[in-house]
Amino acid sequence: MKPVEEQGYLIVATNTESTDYVDCSRVLAKTIKYWHPNAKICLLTNEKLKPDHLFDHVREFPFAIDTANPYANDWQVFDATPFRETIKLEADMLITSPIDNWWNMLRHRDIVVSTGCRDWKDRRASSRHYRQVFDANNLPDVYNAIAYWRLSKTAQDFFVTVRNIFENWPQYRAMLKFPESEPSTDVVYAIAATIMGPETCTMPFASYPTIIHMKRHIIAAKRDPWVDELICEYRDYELRVNTIVQQGAFHYNVKNWRHER
Amino acid sequence: MTTGALIFAFDNEQTNYVAMASWSARNIRRWLNIPTAVVTDIDPNDKRLRGFDQVISATASAGGTRWFEDYQATVTWHNAGRTDAYALSPWDQTLVLDADYVVASDQLKIVLNSDQEFLAHASAYDITGTNNFAGLNDYGEYKMPMSWATVMMFRKSTHARLIFDCMAMIRANWRHYKNLYQIASSTYRNDHALSIALNIVNGQTLKYTSIPWALASVTPEHTVTRTSKDCYRIDYQDQHKRPRWTMIKNQDFHAMGKSHLEKLIETS
Repeated sequence: MKPVEEQGYLIVATNTESTDYVDCSRVLAKTIKYWHPNAKICLLTNEKLKPDHLFDHVREFPFAIDTANPYANDWQVFDATPFRETIKLEADMLITSPIDNWWNMLRHRDIVVSTGCRDWKDRRASSRHYRQVFDANNLPDVYNAIAYWRLSKTAQDFFVTVRNIFENWPQYRAMLKFPESEPSTDVVYAIAATIMGPETCTMPFASYPTIIHMKRHIIAAKRDPWVDELICEYRDYELRVNTIVQQGAFHYNVKNWRHER
Repeated sequence: MTTGALIFAFDNEQTNYVAMASWSARNIRRWLNIPTAVVTDIDPNDKRLRGFDQVISATASAGGTRWFEDYQATVTWHNAGRTDAYALSPWDQTLVLDADYVVASDQLKIVLNSDQEFLAHASAYDITGTNNFAGLNDYGEYKMPMSWATVMMFRKSTHARLIFDCMAMIRANWRHYKNLYQIASSTYRNDHALSIALNIVNGQTLKYTSIPWALASVTPEHTVTRTSKDCYRIDYQDQHKRPRWTMIKNQDFHAMGKSHLEKLIETS
């Protein structure tokens, strides 16, 4: 699809029975617009929606969608984006500080999938609890919650590979140790990055952008959900967890938490 | 600009902190060539105070009691007055040192020559390598990063004053901060107050400048003896309980076992 804007943020939202990802996307878009009022945001969804004050563009998936596994449609982002340069963000996040510096960092590659994640103390996560399949198969530690690409052959090849993996999962699965039954986007991106060459589509040496990942074993919480344990203060789009100011992309995981703030 | 070292020394039932501070003052003068002042509650005519350039009288302020491994006893811990360092210091630039910090080199000149308004250590380690300090380099249930109040350098400035004011506020509301950060021990510690204060004053971001090396430490179960000037021997047991020793020369360190340091001072 021919780009109609130079750069912008793409949020993918496929509603499920348990989660209204479109609403998550609205909350995320609101936080992006607060820090960057001129930022362009596109919502990619299978819902019938029109552009509004939060979403400058609303796109439907350009190809037939896999209803059994909504994540398996992720490869369509390359064709769906209206931007020449895109930062894809997962819907269940908040932006808690300016992020326009990301563009300068990410432009070093045609495509960058973020590597590693942080806890709420801004420390690189050391827990490998959720990453056993990555470690067992020597896959790059990528998180698709933040991914950048510009219109390029490299990015096109990457998403063709992503599609191929999703559509031929049983064959790829057979090659993995401790594979998931259904492919997660992170694992598929990691396999695609390995095929493409991690040096072409990751920047593990970069200190940002990385998500703050509020999963129990990463943040060393004593119980689930973390919101029952840690003290959150949200005011004027600034978020503090146990008094510590959060910066960048905050992946809250507990989907209903956005209403409780 | 005037510069000096400030040492707090309040004796308790077990430890002669004033003698320790007096010995430290001689080392400080020899290596760092700066005047020293002691903050104490003993008689100003006490002969142990002769080695200091200034004696600042203050009332001992106990932060609680604490078990000391080397004494095998619980002793009163007069640590709570450290927050007054900013107000008590007679200098523009001050190095606050624990009485049990052994100066055996000029490495603190790097700290004194820095442009920072406040510096402290952000981590410590066991010289013998037998103890993992991971649990000492953070505090509370959520492992907040620790700053050590053993060595603090400050310049008279708004930033430094705010840090000490904040430490005093934390000390006055210790129960609240202990609960907030889920610190198991009820005893007030300057290290905790400093860590929390640095975080607050620096915008709750956990980002601030610290002394660019870790604090070398000798733990109470290890024995320190002096072999020659500025050369110390540390005796310890390895993980198989075999006796081992190591020598350190021209290396500053924090002697966490007060009794060994006292004996060392008596014999030197």
